[in-house]
Amino acid sequence: MKWKVTDIDTYQQAKEYVDTAVIPLIPLQWGKSEKETITMGEFTEYITDRIENQFTGRVFLMPPFTYLKTESSEEKLRRLMEWDAHLFQQGFKYVFYVTSDVAWKSLDKKLPDELIWIPAISSETMNSDQLKKTVEQQTSQIMPLFTGKWQTEPNNRDE
Amino acid sequence: MSEKKHRVSRRQFLTYTLTGVGGFMAAGMLSPMVRMALDPALEATGDSEFVSVGLGEDELTDEPQIVNFQLEIEDAWYTSEQPRSAWIYKDGDEIIALSPICTHLGCTVNWDSNEDYPEQFFCPCHFGRFERDGTNVAGTPPTRPLDVYDVEVRDGMIYLGQINQRS
Ligand code: FES
Repeated sequence: MKWKVTDIDTYQQAKEYVDTAVIPLIPLQWGKSEKETITMGEFTEYITDRIENQFTGRVFLMPPFTYLKTESSEEKLRRLMEWDAHLFQQGFKYVFYVTSDVAWKSLDKKLPDELIWIPAISSETMNSDQLKKTVEQQTSQIMPLFTGKWQTEPNNRDE
Repeated sequence: MSEKKHRVSRRQFLTYTLTGVGGFMAAGMLSPMVRMALDPALEATGDSEFVSVGLGEDELTDEPQIVNFQLEIEDAWYTSEQPRSAWIYKDGDEIIALSPICTHLGCTVNWDSNEDYPEQFFCPCHFGRFERDGTNVAGTPPTRPLDVYDVEVRDGMIYLGQINQRS
């Protein structure tokens, strides 16, 4: 399900089945390597869209968590944890943060739930068929992380 | 299948309506508002056009295989290509094409993907299950069978048409 008016009624009737939130982490930056930064964001959106498409009934795709590349790690982390705590309290027992921005990798240990980092592949030189295939392939690698996670107890958030 | 008989194509529908309210002039009077109100309902029954899935009949076996294809969706002022998939197999002489969308809450089901439930469609989201012919397994969340596509064979190639709900 997506952050759309058309999906929210379905969600409200099926809440107990929708226990997983996906948050795309998307950087913004001007004046330096715009293209690279955009590529990261685009790729993350393709992947998260595909994940949502495959797991519509259990996964809720949130609007992207956006940040300036220059924002400090502590601040980003603090804000993301706020999102996480909010979603967790509202019944999303599993939260996945999905990004192509390598900056998050060093913060992995500090995150309350699962970070998925996928290196961005530029779609610039691909036609739409190739892009589709690439996204499908990458997503099929990630999907077991979800089904695996669902077999474990949710992480605790209390500290 | 009975849903077929109930179906009225868009053209037929408009023809009925137009003759009903008095012919050509009424076409203009059927204001955009009315059309907007009617359109989604018409859309929901699907378009009856068939699209090729790029697979020959001789490539089918009795083992369901997944095919991906594009469907052109006309949405008011622009046309977009939307991805669709189907599980296709042969049951004797009949070709069956099932929608992979779980009838519980819409996750994508896979054939024979869970060791504990061989020869069934399995939904990873809440462990919904379906038999080979798409019938939902009692005691799992889905309450109706997988939807089926209309199938046509032209020059040995498989074409899929509209999706039909079963109950
Ligand atoms: S969406 Fe398939 S069992 Fe719930």
